[in-house]
Amino acid sequence: MNEINEKMGAAGMSRRSVLKAIGTGAGSLALLPLLSEDGALAFEAIQRANAAPKLKALTAPQYATVNAFTDAIIPTDAHSPGAKAARVADYIDLLLSESDAPLRNTWTEGLASLDAAAVAKYKVPFIKLSPAQVTEFLTEISANEMQPATPVEQFFRTTKDATIRGYYTSEIGIHQDLQYKGNQYLPEFVGCLTEDGKDCPHCGQKAQPKAE
Amino acid sequence: MSAQPAPPLTPGREPYDAIVVGSGAAGGMAAFQLAMSGIKVLLLEAGRMLDPQKEYKTMEWPYKDLRRHRLPVGEFALSSAEYRMLDRPYGLTPEMQKYKKVMAYSGNHFTRDWIADEKQNPITGTPYAWVRARVLGGKTNLWGRVSLRFSELDLKARSHDGFGEDWPIGYADISPYYDKVDTLLGISGTRENIAHLPDGIFQRPLKLNCGEVQVQRAIAKMGRKLIPGRAGVTTDGVLNNKYRARCMGRGRCGRGCDLNAAFHSPAALIFPARDSGNLTVRPDSVVSEILIDDSTNKATGVRVIDRNTRETMDFKGRLVIVAASCLESTRLLLNSRSANRSNGAANSSGVIGHYFSEHVMGPGASGTLPSRRGTEPTNDDGRPQSTYIVRFRNVTDKHPDFIRGYGFQGASGAAEYPANAAETTGFGASFKRSVRETYPARVNYSGFGEVLARKENRVFLDPEVKDAWGIPVLKFDYRFGDNEKKMAADMADTAEEMLRAAGATDIRVRRDVLTEGWSIHEMGTARMGADPKTSVTNSFGQTHDVKNLFVVDGSIFVSASCQNPTWMIMALCWRAMDYVKDEMKRGNL
Repeated sequence: MNEINEKMGAAGMSRRSVLKAIGTGAGSLALLPLLSEDGALAFEAIQRANAAPKLKALTAPQYATVNAFTDAIIPTDAHSPGAKAARVADYIDLLLSESDAPLRNTWTEGLASLDAAAVAKYKVPFIKLSPAQVTEFLTEISANEMQPATPVEQFFRTTKDATIRGYYTSEIGIHQDLQYKGNQYLPEFVGCLTEDGKDCPHCGQKAQPKAE
Repeated sequence: MSAQPAPPLTPGREPYDAIVVGSGAAGGMAAFQLAMSGIKVLLLEAGRMLDPQKEYKTMEWPYKDLRRHRLPVGEFALSSAEYRMLDRPYGLTPEMQKYKKVMAYSGNHFTRDWIADEKQNPITGTPYAWVRARVLGGKTNLWGRVSLRFSELDLKARSHDGFGEDWPIGYADISPYYDKVDTLLGISGTRENIAHLPDGIFQRPLKLNCGEVQVQRAIAKMGRKLIPGRAGVTTDGVLNNKYRARCMGRGRCGRGCDLNAAFHSPAALIFPARDSGNLTVRPDSVVSEILIDDSTNKATGVRVIDRNTRETMDFKGRLVIVAASCLESTRLLLNSRSANRSNGAANSSGVIGHYFSEHVMGPGASGTLPSRRGTEPTNDDGRPQSTYIVRFRNVTDKHPDFIRGYGFQGASGAAEYPANAAETTGFGASFKRSVRETYPARVNYSGFGEVLARKENRVFLDPEVKDAWGIPVLKFDYRFGDNEKKMAADMADTAEEMLRAAGATDIRVRRDVLTEGWSIHEMGTARMGADPKTSVTNSFGQTHDVKNLFVVDGSIFVSASCQNPTWMIMALCWRAMDYVKDEMKRGNL
């Protein structure tokens, strides 16, 4: 019974490091994947139509901020599209719409703290920051991401975790960005060629006689 | 398939030759062995019928599943056990990180419908992550497929280090049955000539990838062996079963393999047995009690409560074989009470529920192999198992801190979800590139260690709490001891030292022990033995007290070893059924 456990192991964060990452413990980390059938169908429709989403939990300004924030965390680059293209904000909105009030409040308050910090530093809310300002601002609020302390630092960690989850489970994340090769019919696993008694051109390891 | 489901089976006048309780690895094997020999068998499963072709969603992408494989809060099957302490929502709260595995089974739509609902099936006592499947095939629908033989060192562990009891059998007794199980079901592996991890009759092995070869070579210098995983999966195909095809390297076996290349009890054992015409399967049958005639001291059948109608009915059998999983079998024996048997059936020794053991998990390490960083991702999921690091403690040497040993399961390379992302600091294009570059380079190993079978670790009936069918539930009094804790500390140390030796960087060492129950390898609560005063069954699973009552699952194990138990359960069960058939021929049953 170890497959999922292996995945857990591969997921890798020990409880201790998670606790460190979260700082204050239960409740401060927020994103919850909670989609009802209706919500899920709505999400699918959004993705298919590439239409503006009918927001369920976030207000339009909140949505715009989440959209910009997640795309700053995982942007489009020369290699692949980013969080915005993968509709991570839509996913978060749907999840939040099916979460309970304390969890939604974490996001509402987090967004407020994000804007408050942006206003304090730049006199404008997050959505109005220039690209250079976004980079400077995120550098600051991510500095303690493994041990976030302030509300805005915690909200960075919350949003980053949600963005990772939403992006790397999306079609764009899996195929275009990671170029994941599995989940296909593979008659025989191709391993290191040293396993076939050859020198391996991929890793440079030399064939070794099998010790019996 | 007819449009109208047949009405549920009701007891007839004639007894069955044998009644088997449970349809997992043990129950499936028991039913198969008897039915194929012409013995009329009734197989009872507490959960529902399963249609593998409909329910095994082997290749579904996360973005196809609209919840990305997760369920809404409130739909988790596991709502209590140790999670009783947790407030909703589970999700990504720090506590839930620790219980991710259980959430993985109960909180996704692949396996959720198979997992016992804790609201209907509560437990009490010390925290225990008891993952139970109630569906045809039980946990074999979602098992991890690691198929390792027990060795003489495991079976005679007391002779080796003085603790506990030796098994009443040696490797020579069970080895031929391992061979039979290998041949019938198919197993992938490599011949390694390791005395304490005996070879089997292997089909096409699973190759190591580049990163794993690197680890293998590095730890070989430390005298340690990394071998390809041994998987209970047919990689070459089996000729004897029309329900199964060979492995096609798609991964995701734990959702159920829709080719049935992975061993799952329904397609591998139950369907062929049913085709013989000798097996009747009754799902939705919650067995509340083994019926025993105290005047003759013989089992006469079982009492069944229909899961849906709650109707109670007695099925008669000449032989009762209990294979409901270690703890469910234990609970059933304890619940089979009468004036003469106040502590349950076959329990004159009083040891039923005691000597509860499993595997301790959690410690391990992950890191990055710089040689693999930035390389093109390979298909590392295309195997039903990855690699295994063979036990190296207390085999020839003697560790000063603990007895017994542990092995590691793990892998290098890319998986669908990039586990390295959450550990990668930063944001923006540099974060994204770093995740991508490290993705093929990750390496991770996790230990599985033997928990000592100690009398004080036990389960017993809760005097007050009952399940949804009015059957008393189990109360746990089970904790890891000093030996487990010291072993776990050593696991973390050796995992770190091996990754370091392999040249890994950014090594994260996991030192925390996971919750009791995490391994899903419960064993030992109705142990076998030669002495009826200290054991429940003989080496054939036949209870000392009631000659036509057999127990054939993990509960009869004497000690846990550090090997995964499924293959041993089936080898022991096959051996027990050969004994049953012999005893029937002799007229002793």
